[in-house]
Amino acid sequence: MRRPAAAHSAHARQVTSQLSASLPVLDVDDIPQQTGTPVITFDRVTKIYPAQPNKPALENISLQIYPGEFVFLVGHSGSGKSTLVRLIIRELKPTSGTITIANEDLGSMRNWRVPYLRRNIGFVFQDFKLLPNKTVFENVSFALEVIGKSRHVIKTQVPEVLRLVGLQDKLNKYPDQLSGGEQQRVSIARAIVNRPPLLVCDEPTGNLDPQTSRGIMDLLERINRTGTTVLVATHDREMVDNMRRRVIALDRGHLTRDQQRGVYGFNV
Amino acid sequence: MSSFLYFIRQSLQGFRRHMSTSLGSVITIFLSLFIIGVFLVGGAVVDNIVKSVESEVSITAYIADGTSDSDIQQFEQYVRGIDGVASVSFTTKDEALESFRNMSSNSSIVDELDGENPLPASVNVELSDPQQVQEVADSIASNSLFQRICDEPSNPQNSLKYGQKTVERLFSVTNYIRYIGVALVVLLIFIALVFINNTIRLAILSRRKEIAIMRLVGASNGFIRGPFLMEGALDALIGSLLGVGCLELLRRFALPRLQDALTFLPIDVSGGMFGIIYVSLIVAGLIIGLIGSALAMRRYLKV
Repeated sequence: MRRPAAAHSAHARQVTSQLSASLPVLDVDDIPQQTGTPVITFDRVTKIYPAQPNKPALENISLQIYPGEFVFLVGHSGSGKSTLVRLIIRELKPTSGTITIANEDLGSMRNWRVPYLRRNIGFVFQDFKLLPNKTVFENVSFALEVIGKSRHVIKTQVPEVLRLVGLQDKLNKYPDQLSGGEQQRVSIARAIVNRPPLLVCDEPTGNLDPQTSRGIMDLLERINRTGTTVLVATHDREMVDNMRRRVIALDRGHLTRDQQRGVYGFNV
Repeated sequence: MSSFLYFIRQSLQGFRRHMSTSLGSVITIFLSLFIIGVFLVGGAVVDNIVKSVESEVSITAYIADGTSDSDIQQFEQYVRGIDGVASVSFTTKDEALESFRNMSSNSSIVDELDGENPLPASVNVELSDPQQVQEVADSIASNSLFQRICDEPSNPQNSLKYGQKTVERLFSVTNYIRYIGVALVVLLIFIALVFINNTIRLAILSRRKEIAIMRLVGASNGFIRGPFLMEGALDALIGSLLGVGCLELLRRFALPRLQDALTFLPIDVSGGMFGIIYVSLIVAGLIIGLIGSALAMRRYLKV
């Protein structure tokens, strides 16, 4: 199934092809199959911040996330969710253990390769991280512009992805003219405009009301259905309980639970 | 190529956004390079003068008024016999006055003398080898005939004038000027670096959000750094072009006037020399700009 064009092109493209090649066709009601090469592998990962040498932010975490999965990462504040996300995008390096993303060991990855890793991961944050002086269109096209995509690619892909998130009528609005939910849709559009095989969301609904959150989650689910692996760090109990997807729970740096069709499970 | 254009657009935008700090670094670069340029041109002028003085190394022996022709001839005979002497000629008092009148820009001084002629007659000794000037001068000074007929019998050395002394004096003055110039240039370059560094730091800080997003979506390090390097280079380029422009004005308008005022000094510096100075100033400016912004990026732009 490997696309021949990608096979002999740049390594970054190769990663893409490896990821998308092994994507299973998913029916929503199916239990996601854990097949193929894992997209994300944590092997006995420990992260200790120098400021708190006695209290590891993550300790001995081992987990695997397979292509096409929709995974919730849950836990209280300070449980290590954000540390885990930052390890995936290699903003941090683990103190010990190895992290492999798309067959690539982040520990031995050279610094200059990191941008190419990130091109294969989309990010969505609680605070949207939109540029206030750019329009919706420009915010999304910025992501393509800075990785050197041609104007032609930008002109075709940006409207398409904005249609996908339901903002086709607000191309020329500025972020402060949009509601919170719409802003988060823009940031999701920006994250997936480059069609990354992996989408990582850190508290995507943290700033939104429950109804709007539901809309965002529907959107993430739709993106997942196209084959993108989605990892959502959240403490939105209702969301997790409703969707019954795989749940990985962290508590004070330890992995306490990893179950298919799980629930939030903490007594808040 | 498209990313190069992107860099240029971004750096122009940055320049406009931080007009005051950008202008600050442009002006410091401009002043530094302009002053460096003035010193370089000055150095070239001094080199010219030193060379012309060196090439004219000859010995003039002043003869007392009323010395008999036979003494003078005998003296000339003696000088011709010294090793390293190429030719000997005699200048009378009248000829000395005439040449002074021609050399001086203010010939009325001569007219005010009322026929008095304070200038002594002299024997001019051309040397075949300028290196030997000291030896030849020493042997003339120790000659008993010269000691008798020289213009200042109490101290025969004073009646001898030769280029070496002028050159040495010139060198001691120009060396001081050079040291001061180098110190000034180093200081100015340092200040320019600090200014560029600061300008780029502000540019980086004001775009922190954009940079964070660029990093997240996987812009390469070079792509993130490019606009800032370009902005530093742009500031420096504008500054150095201003500096070169001012030097050119100086060359067009100030140097000819200086030459008119100091007719006896060969000030004129060749156009090729100016070309070299201009190019090296612009290159130096670019290097300062790039280093300044690279320093700022090292500190404020962790990628």
